[in-house]
Amino acid sequence: MEGLVSGFGYAGSQSDNNYDVIIIGGGPAGASAAIYTARADLRTLVIDKGLTAGALGLTAKISNYPGVPGPINGAELIETMRAQAESFGATFITDKVVGVDLTSEPKMVMAGTNSYTAQAVILATGSMGRTGAIPGEVEFLGRGVSYCATCDGAFFRQQDVAVVGNNDEALEEALFLTKFAGKIHLISPTPELKARDHLVAEVAEHPKIELRLGTRLKQICGNGAVDSVRVQPRRGEEETLPVRGAFVYLQGGLPITDYLMGQVETAREGCLVVDREMQTRIPGVFAVGDLLCDHIKQAVIAAADGVVAAIAADKYINQRQSLRTDWK
Amino acid sequence: MSLLRDEDRRQIRKEFEALTAPVKLIVFTQEHECQYCAETRQIAEEVTALSDRIELEVYDLLADEEKAAAYGIDKLPALIVMRGGDEPRDYGIRFFGIPSGYEFGTLIEDIRMVSSGDSGLSEATRRQVAELQSPVHFQVFVTPTCPYCPRAVLLAHQLAMESELIRGDMVEAIEFPHLSMKYQVQGVPRTVINETVHLEGAMPEAMVMARLQEAVQAAA
Repeated sequence: MEGLVSGFGYAGSQSDNNYDVIIIGGGPAGASAAIYTARADLRTLVIDKGLTAGALGLTAKISNYPGVPGPINGAELIETMRAQAESFGATFITDKVVGVDLTSEPKMVMAGTNSYTAQAVILATGSMGRTGAIPGEVEFLGRGVSYCATCDGAFFRQQDVAVVGNNDEALEEALFLTKFAGKIHLISPTPELKARDHLVAEVAEHPKIELRLGTRLKQICGNGAVDSVRVQPRRGEEETLPVRGAFVYLQGGLPITDYLMGQVETAREGCLVVDREMQTRIPGVFAVGDLLCDHIKQAVIAAADGVVAAIAADKYINQRQSLRTDWK
Repeated sequence: MSLLRDEDRRQIRKEFEALTAPVKLIVFTQEHECQYCAETRQIAEEVTALSDRIELEVYDLLADEEKAAAYGIDKLPALIVMRGGDEPRDYGIRFFGIPSGYEFGTLIEDIRMVSSGDSGLSEATRRQVAELQSPVHFQVFVTPTCPYCPRAVLLAHQLAMESELIRGDMVEAIEFPHLSMKYQVQGVPRTVINETVHLEGAMPEAMVMARLQEAVQAAA
């Protein structure tokens, strides 16, 4: 039996999962915050679910970032920021935050199989969140609709499934599903997959995966449980694909706050409201970047937000009366 | 062929040096071992070998039916983590189905928790749990490759440890298809509280407690 025990990362002792600051989201806001918190000698952890999962990471060319004439690839720009933060001691991990407990002291952040604690948390998860569910998605959640192939893949042994999405996460999950499923229809809303090259190549070559590029998922259908999906290719007729599972990894334009499980108040359309120091109503919890309401969605502004939050987090942790800027 | 990797064995053995009170593992299997019964027994044997503070008992569901009834075991494989030694104590912590993949970590965590004698729950949760009047049964459906599941299982086990009225079962969904069908489980983790309340995903402690109250009130 493959990976019978310990194969999936028995995490061992939790003693080194305590930080001063945890930053959720490693885009320009998160990475910039990390530069400043690390330089302030705060033990910093940045948890990011994927370089190309965010708005800047997906951007092929950016030419208006001050100080970087470009055009530079968005992912490259983020990698530079991350390297800078790491040079000051920040730790970056790739994982998906699935829950938080911001009411406890210290605050807890759950990502993958691990729990981390921190005195301050900076939310920097951006706004690539879903704008709405596809018809059938909510109805069949847990009855064929899933957002986690590693969790639920085993329920679809030798059955045909659909994976909907075009980024790293969608492709990795599709590849995982090849262990269980019969055929996998990879339905990408865009004509090109927006994932790292090696993943795109692997998916293109895999005999179990059928690529359907430039195709929109219209509806998830079934009777009690999923039995098919209706899709619309850019050119051509609508099709019905017989599948027993639909794994959805789509992105949209809304603030990503599902992992907060309602612990932070959201305003209309799910954006977060903060004070001038980027702090939410929960002391020690800050929010920055595209998560915020009435916000100009630009990388340099996200970066600036991140820095304000970092300095405010430092003030919070060290119980200073006023913000202390980094002149080093 | 051993199931644990050498480096994990080394690490776990080292961590088990900190165990204080003795722990007992009980495995229920049967003479013609079921699909994962043999592996579950082997996991328990290999883990027991990593500390002299852990003892193991193995029973046959049919031949030892009185024991099975006493421990509330109705399906195989079953693994119990309880306090051992001179004052054995069953907290109602159960694994039904093989604790492999990510759930292996839950097993190790349970051993540490039971040995320490402390559930690790928050003060607020402990207060709520102390006020319970009626039994609560948690069944947490998992698959071994689900990274979010251990959290849900561990919470159920922590609650079981904290209260004599609470039982916490991990149920491996693929090994018990009839149960998965009964509770319509096709996505994990799925926690079923007292048959009536279903939770999708691994929720934080406070949210689970709110749903527990719902289940208790529904029964009242």
